[in-house]
Amino acid sequence: MYRGREGQWAFVLHRLSGLAVAFYLYIHVANISLAMFGPEVAGPILDFFHQGAFRIGLVLVMAGVVYHALNGLRIIIMDFTDWGVKYQRQLWYGVLALTAAIGAPVLYIVVPQIIQDLS
Amino acid sequence: MALPRPKTLRQARAAYSTNSELAWWVFMRVSGLVLVFLTFGHLFMTNIQVNAGEIDWQFVASRLDTPWIKVYNTFLLVLAMLHAANGVRYSIDDYLGKSSWRFAAKAVFYSLTAAVMLFGLISLWAIDYGRFNVPLGGA
Repeated sequence: MYRGREGQWAFVLHRLSGLAVAFYLYIHVANISLAMFGPEVAGPILDFFHQGAFRIGLVLVMAGVVYHALNGLRIIIMDFTDWGVKYQRQLWYGVLALTAAIGAPVLYIVVPQIIQDLS
Repeated sequence: MALPRPKTLRQARAAYSTNSELAWWVFMRVSGLVLVFLTFGHLFMTNIQVNAGEIDWQFVASRLDTPWIKVYNTFLLVLAMLHAANGVRYSIDDYLGKSSWRFAAKAVFYSLTAAVMLFGLISLWAIDYGRFNVPLGGA
């Protein structure tokens, strides 16, 4: 099953990021849905998730979403074109580069907000 | 344990004896493609346009009260949860060796998925957010 090397790492990261984002998704939907009970109920729970550990976790989840989305596009290309598998390694480096390219401006915006909110 | 998953549509057709496995294989790719756009748009609205650390009930309720966001979030909720649930199902099949454990894990996990998705749909379609006497801005 494993050829090892880049393809294996692409798979491992896809699985890990997928499970992490899935775990976040269930908590996120439940948390946001609590808004139906009004500000007295939902407000303190929203505040609870503004703690530092969750803010940093949210940045990691966003990184996972971006990687999972872009590597998912790589999988679609591999599955539905006749050249995708041949260039899967180059595509994966493209996925990593694009993840960094999207991540950098996001970090530039979000990290100062987190530092300011926590200090 | 699961066999290696097929890599092309032809292999998928050949590998899956049931139509439902083939349907899920296709679903993961179609929903994944749509989710790239829906998720990036969602993150832009909730993490870039605003500081996520300042999100309060009023912001959430204003969004959930906005018609086009109800539609947008319904697609995002249903597609993301089905995509996630099927991905976790693949993982359960891959990592839980005993069939009794797989069955138990799936029973719990599918129930949780249905409950959370229903909760989300109720919050989108069955709630009048004006009844809390808090002024809601447009989202």
